[in-house]
Amino acid sequence: MTILSPSAASGPLTVSVAPVPIAASSTLVNQLSVKPRLGQWSKVLVGGPNLGTDESNAMAVLYPVPFGGQADAFVVQDQGGQNTIDLSQIYVYATIPGDTPMVEAFEYKTL
Amino acid sequence: MNRRELFQKALGAGAAVVAAGVLRGQSSSFNGPAGGSRGSTLVTVLTGPFDTSSYPNGVRPLTDTPQFATYVRIQAHPGQQGKIAIGTSAMANTTGAIADSSFLELWPNWDGSSDNGRSDTWILTDPQWNNTINLADIYVWPEIAGEAPVITAFQLA
Repeated sequence: MTILSPSAASGPLTVSVAPVPIAASSTLVNQLSVKPRLGQWSKVLVGGPNLGTDESNAMAVLYPVPFGGQADAFVVQDQGGQNTIDLSQIYVYATIPGDTPMVEAFEYKTL
Repeated sequence: MNRRELFQKALGAGAAVVAAGVLRGQSSSFNGPAGGSRGSTLVTVLTGPFDTSSYPNGVRPLTDTPQFATYVRIQAHPGQQGKIAIGTSAMANTTGAIADSSFLELWPNWDGSSDNGRSDTWILTDPQWNNTINLADIYVWPEIAGEAPVITAFQLA
């Protein structure tokens, strides 16, 4: 049977001084969400391998939520019900080194 | 008397049947549709404030036994004051900060003063409305013990 399961790549993603891929090697998922972490001060950039720290080539620029509130989000899902989003091709950058944007990803698995 | 009991008392026996039905996802004896299936009728299997207080560290899976849903919604409960962390079994097993093992946090809505009163909400759906989301794989932790996010799950039975 097929189930939509949380990916091992889900969770806080530590970003140092340069954009980092969500997964080190090819990892296909169905659904992806990236959000600034509540209480942190970083603006969060999402893009591909050519994402620049100056926001060049950014797919999304997410505003931080340092004082709370609903976090801005970048969300994408394959509506065809397939694992087509490669996490190794999605890069994340936080403007303050060490901040940890929240990554949520779900993938189809066959049990 | 909790809210469900109050609801049942107010609306009588008919309401009691409804309340028992919509909460069947929390029953260990309930055997819902198989994973990946797609039925013809949308059935509510979880609804209402979700109490995690009887579980270790207050981290609770949405169901104790595998139940496959097509839609899950978790909402910070208006009037309550703690964040809500959502994650996997890693959150239940952590020895450190529980929220650091989550994949998402919901901001509380204690007085309706931010975001025009809207409560932070997480929704996950199968794009083709198949029953593929295993509720037993999704864990919830209210930052403040005893608080209860509002959780809804639907199956196509």
